[in-house]
Amino acid sequence: MDDIGRNDRCITGIEGLDNILNGGIPRGNTVLITGSCGTGKTTLSLEFLVHGALMGERSLYISVTEASKKLLKNMIPYEFFDKKLIEEKMLIFIDLPDLYEKLNLTKLEFDLEDIQILLDEIISIVRKLEVKRLVIDSITSICYRLKEEEKIREFILRLGKSLSDLGCTTLLVSELLPSAKGYSQYGVEEAIADGVILLGNLERRGDLLRTIQVVKMRGTTHSRAKYVLDLTSIGILLAPLLKGGSEETGW
Amino acid sequence: MGVPQEVCEKLEALSEASSVALVVNVANYFDAIRGIVELFSKRNNLNVYYVSATIPSKNIIEIFEVLEIDLSTIYFVDCISHIMMGAAQQTDKIIYVESPTMLENILLKIEYLSRKYGTSSIVLIDSLNSLAIHNNLRMLSEFFHVLVTNLRAKGSYVVIVSMKEQETEEIKGMLNLVCDEILVVE
Repeated sequence: MDDIGRNDRCITGIEGLDNILNGGIPRGNTVLITGSCGTGKTTLSLEFLVHGALMGERSLYISVTEASKKLLKNMIPYEFFDKKLIEEKMLIFIDLPDLYEKLNLTKLEFDLEDIQILLDEIISIVRKLEVKRLVIDSITSICYRLKEEEKIREFILRLGKSLSDLGCTTLLVSELLPSAKGYSQYGVEEAIADGVILLGNLERRGDLLRTIQVVKMRGTTHSRAKYVLDLTSIGILLAPLLKGGSEETGW
Repeated sequence: MGVPQEVCEKLEALSEASSVALVVNVANYFDAIRGIVELFSKRNNLNVYYVSATIPSKNIIEIFEVLEIDLSTIYFVDCISHIMMGAAQQTDKIIYVESPTMLENILLKIEYLSRKYGTSSIVLIDSLNSLAIHNNLRMLSEFFHVLVTNLRAKGSYVVIVSMKEQETEEIKGMLNLVCDEILVVE
């Protein structure tokens, strides 16, 4: 096997996805999980963290839009979820609005100094708690406060570099409008991230299928085909998208 | 020998994890099903993952109950009730697929059952002809190829029921392509 296939992997625990990635996400990568609403971005991210915590890797979820209490409630039906992970602090939830308040970041638009304060805080938490898996849900909400492309680029680059140096594999959840053409709202995130995993809805003759496609992943060879996914109580399951010559429209 | 026994014995004569086309006629259709779910699966300690595309699972369960067939190891992937606007009864025994055109979702539900209840199983597709009403044959061939290859690797049996009266040359060709054996029940 060549070097590109030999990197240390962060096993997502989602069997189908690990197969697509030839063993998992290269450790330390920053990956954009992108898609429109209802495509399974948050579920995939949470499953990635829970499997990590079960494998002994401390996992952190930074929630921007949804309160952790609500997220936790949604996780209880999963058969692979163990409440002990929370009690033993292997799985940690932080609400970003609380962090903003603590850091006194109250402005609607962040300047470079605010960005640095936020970056320092996230990196300090990751370092202190020895976090190996991080999810920020969503990066789009943070980018909303950065506004300018240059600031977004700076933020994601510095965040990705620092976390990679700490051996932390990061998923940045990105919200897409159903009509969006690219892979992120600001068009910058996808270029800087090491990987892009696109979740989508595929309409075929009136049926709506959830799909997943690894568009890009540095450090590994991978399939770029589209797969159909199902969100079940035992986790995310994947099946190949049947081609059969049907016409498709998707987003 | 009755039809259930005949079907059971024919299946037992095959090697493990075979994929089989079971060609039946309208008159012996249910007896043939009975041979699989009541005799073959019990004798071999196999779960039955029953993909119902012809009759809603609710009705099949009612018939099984009348016949006093043990339902404890039978699980349904029901892909017909939703399009018939039938009330979806939520139980651990039945998983609904919105439409028989969502073939990938049928694959995913079988995968779910295999992971949850084990791969020591027989996957019964009832029936190829019903699926062929809703899907083009290229798509259906692809579906069966993925299904059979996947389940064979896991050691599960696949039985694809085909109604003799509704068989076309294309359907016969597809069965020859994806199945190890064609069993005709006269």
